[in-house]
Amino acid sequence: MYSVKEIKKGLEEKKFSTVEIVKEYLEKIKKEDKKIKAFITLREDEAIKEAIEVDKKIASGQELRLLEGLPVGLKDNIATKGLKTTCSSKILEDFIPPYDASATVKVREKGGIVIGKLNMDEFAMGSSTENSAFFDTKNPWDLSRVPGGSSGGSAAAVSAGFAPITYGSDTGGSVRIPASFCGVVGLKPTYGLVSRYGLIALASSLDQIGPFGKSVEDCIYGLEGVQGFDKKDSTSKDVKLPDYFEEIKKGIKGLKVGVPEEFFGQGIDKEIKKKIEDNIKILEKLGAHIERFSLPITDTGLSAYYIISSAEASSNLGRYDGVRYGIRAEDYSSFEELIVKSRTEGFGEEVKRRIMLGTYALSSGYYDAYYKKAMIFRKKVEKLFDDAFDKYDVVVSPTLPILPFKLGEKINNPMEMYLSDTFTVNINLAGVPAISVPAGFSKEGLPIGMQFIGDKFSEDILFRFAYALEQELKLDLDPWKEGR
Amino acid sequence: MKVSREEVEYIAKLANLKFSSNEMDKLLKEFESILEHFVNLDQEDLKGYDMYSFEEKSLRTREDKVVDFENKSELFSNVKKMRDKFIEIPKVVD
Amino acid sequence: MGAFETVIGLEIHVELGTKSKIFCGCSTEFGKKANENTCPVCIGLPGVMPVLNERVVELAVKAGQVLNCKINKINKTDRKNYFYPDLPKAYQISQFDMPVCSVGYLELGEEFQGKKIGITRIHIEEDAGKLIHLEDEDVTLIDYNRAGVPLVEIVTEPDIRSAEEAHDFLKKLRNILVYSEISDCKMEEGSLRCDANISIRKVGSDVLNTKVEIKNMNSFKEVHKALLKEEKRQLELYRYGEEHKIVQETRRWDSGKGRTVTMRTKEDAHDYRYFPEPDLPPMILEEKYIDTIKETIPELPMEKKERFVKDYGLSQKDAEVIIDDKATANFFEKLVSKTKDPKESSNWVITEVLRSLKEYDEIPVSSQQLAELIKEIKSGSISRNAGKKVFDKMCDTDKMPVDLIDDLGLKQISSEDKLEEIVKEILDKNSEAVEDFKSGKGKAFGFLMGQTMKETKGKANPGVVKKILEEKLKKM
Repeated sequence: MYSVKEIKKGLEEKKFSTVEIVKEYLEKIKKEDKKIKAFITLREDEAIKEAIEVDKKIASGQELRLLEGLPVGLKDNIATKGLKTTCSSKILEDFIPPYDASATVKVREKGGIVIGKLNMDEFAMGSSTENSAFFDTKNPWDLSRVPGGSSGGSAAAVSAGFAPITYGSDTGGSVRIPASFCGVVGLKPTYGLVSRYGLIALASSLDQIGPFGKSVEDCIYGLEGVQGFDKKDSTSKDVKLPDYFEEIKKGIKGLKVGVPEEFFGQGIDKEIKKKIEDNIKILEKLGAHIERFSLPITDTGLSAYYIISSAEASSNLGRYDGVRYGIRAEDYSSFEELIVKSRTEGFGEEVKRRIMLGTYALSSGYYDAYYKKAMIFRKKVEKLFDDAFDKYDVVVSPTLPILPFKLGEKINNPMEMYLSDTFTVNINLAGVPAISVPAGFSKEGLPIGMQFIGDKFSEDILFRFAYALEQELKLDLDPWKEGR
Repeated sequence: MKVSREEVEYIAKLANLKFSSNEMDKLLKEFESILEHFVNLDQEDLKGYDMYSFEEKSLRTREDKVVDFENKSELFSNVKKMRDKFIEIPKVVD
Repeated sequence: MGAFETVIGLEIHVELGTKSKIFCGCSTEFGKKANENTCPVCIGLPGVMPVLNERVVELAVKAGQVLNCKINKINKTDRKNYFYPDLPKAYQISQFDMPVCSVGYLELGEEFQGKKIGITRIHIEEDAGKLIHLEDEDVTLIDYNRAGVPLVEIVTEPDIRSAEEAHDFLKKLRNILVYSEISDCKMEEGSLRCDANISIRKVGSDVLNTKVEIKNMNSFKEVHKALLKEEKRQLELYRYGEEHKIVQETRRWDSGKGRTVTMRTKEDAHDYRYFPEPDLPPMILEEKYIDTIKETIPELPMEKKERFVKDYGLSQKDAEVIIDDKATANFFEKLVSKTKDPKESSNWVITEVLRSLKEYDEIPVSSQQLAELIKEIKSGSISRNAGKKVFDKMCDTDKMPVDLIDDLGLKQISSEDKLEEIVKEILDKNSEAVEDFKSGKGKAFGFLMGQTMKETKGKANPGVVKKILEEKLKKM
């Protein structure tokens, strides 16, 4: 509905009050989310109370913080104190954390108002949000299609205008994929830039919280709302944070773009390929230097990713046993039964599949063949990206090889579902940042996303490219306009 | 990649998950198709790469100071069965 | 059948003496109400992450240094995955292939000629919670106070050859760790736990036979007893040619029954699926850091013992007894500095002071009190026996010996004039005994001494009485 800047300006100039804005968004959600089903939990009363406080602040002339008064949505794997956090899983369907994730704390410290928790693939495992234990989220552009995953709810909410900023998490593409499918901007920050404390872990060495926005600027606000060192996260990095708003003014003239041929090979939808190549020409027009090169990591990267993420997940999900939180099976006659029943009943199919895969990859006899090998290959991916960034400022690709597919289309073939992650997983393996930007639409009007990949802590460069493209394309990103 | 049923049943035990016979059949097939894909990992040239690289800064540590959690009263509010201050579960045999 | 030898290796878990837990700020204080020392991190709530306590690293490195180990500058943590209700995350953060210390040794005492027992490795890990199994209900209760308390695991080479050696090893280990303030090593509070691996083989063989793990030994004495029992059990099987009945298993020491019992083997070989802990980057320890820690190591038991022998002229045996407890050793030195009499001081420490520690948790007298008591005895103001009575009183009060002697009316009569009078009286009253003595019956002297002591209600200074009696009898 509104951009972040519009809201901030409107509040400052007293064009509307915070309560009015928050209520407007809540009304929209209550009216339209029946169709999309992006939200699991709405946080109405508290949000309005907080909005009242912001209005008092404005009235007394106090300085407003970065996200003051902005309605924000959080993926339901980000812990919110006193507010149900389920990971879209039956096993946590009634879990209320007694603490806030550091990202939640930061958003609130900057004045953001959390209005609700968003649907996802169960425990972030999936690329379509169809693995949610509760319900499917629909793609606002075509309600018969998936919004992507695992942060489907977060992407759909921004796309449908339910919040100006939402947050998701990205382990192998879970921010970028739904961003691409829903026609919004989604960033996976450099590993360590955003604190993982309170992000319910899928794969600890791959996860990152990432912001969604309808525009690049909104996405920047999102990132600034959560980035930065956190002493509670031992993998959090303490780095100098650039002024992204200043950086995007610089444009992309003279910057070098690497185009990896393997990301444009066979198997990509023709429309996507064409659209991305057209956009590359635009980048050239804007002054960037384009060069094709070889980056042979797509297939093996996918294997390595699924081995490592499943292995870490199988360990991270061991704690769900019904003892301290989560559902406890109804009848059990021993401790062993309590755990096995709670887990078997509480976890969905995909989660169980990945726990099995991960346990297998770590088990004695297979550790060397799978986990170790994957971890060694991961070093190769890091090195190859490192080498690429010696030559290029950015590497581009389609975000996915396929267009948004129909609900139910891929759910019975896990391997096929995994293949949608082909262009996104290697970014997580290397720990580098990447952003998905709306690149255009297919003939049928389905969103196509373009991915910009940068060196560690080069979000400023990613934003420059994303912004330059966005300003050039000037796409209409309102799914409701189509007459839905 | 052939996986035996015994192996998968052993893994299920390790993971504390139970599968029906049908589910086990399905899982076996899926495992095989997934592991088939993983074969490409074997064809990679990994010479010169090591699992560990210790170039980064050393692990950050914290001061040895007692810091109480500020919301202790809510810490066990999600437990399904408490007895006094303990968590209650069916008896475990050592 | 040739002779057999016993091969023992120990696995010891020691709680490090930190104020807060290993990965969170919860207190490590013992004896709190159930689940009071807890937070989201140590009870493994979804989304939490560990942050390592710097003091844990310091103490682990220090432990390696006092045990002559190699400190591994690059070391890392790993996850050990298994399910058990006392393990909140269903994995324990431990160290697998790159522990903080490796390859060291500990010397046994004089009795074992200072034999070196090899230390294979020392690594850091987090403790699990506690389970309480109710007697008359099918219920187990979980307390997570202990979850996340920092431990080091010390693994020895199979160099120990007897239950006695094992016992001495534990005593020496505890001593070193208490001295260097790494842990208080109280088995009764669980801050030191010991499991043992034991096997038998023919003397001269360098093959290791099937080893049996023994658990549930709750004191050093029990370790000793359990190992003796298990050694006996295995030896008997060998004697009857039934050594194949010794299987690789874990046996529980049942102190009530006085034997080891097969534990229900719920664990075949556990597949722990170790992998590097992704939430904690590796540790890279600098030389300077390691050196700084080394400088904080105080005088260790061995060194102190040698110094006591050299500087105070104590025997090896006496020195070993005194240094066995750090507080006692410190007390001894303070006492010597005041009395300037190492022999007398060591006597009192080895007898009265150590005996008092059986009743009291800490040494119940001050070095000043005891020093003055020794002075009083030396000056003849009281007898040694009276001194022991004063010592007992001193355990319960801050009062100085001078006051206590008055209170108890124990002042010894040492004045020669006074005693001469009394002795003269006794001799007059006991002319028969005098005659007996004169005719060579030595016992009569003792009788006359006894009468004198009786007359003075034991307060006469025996040395002076003896002198006077001898003189007088000579003249008679």
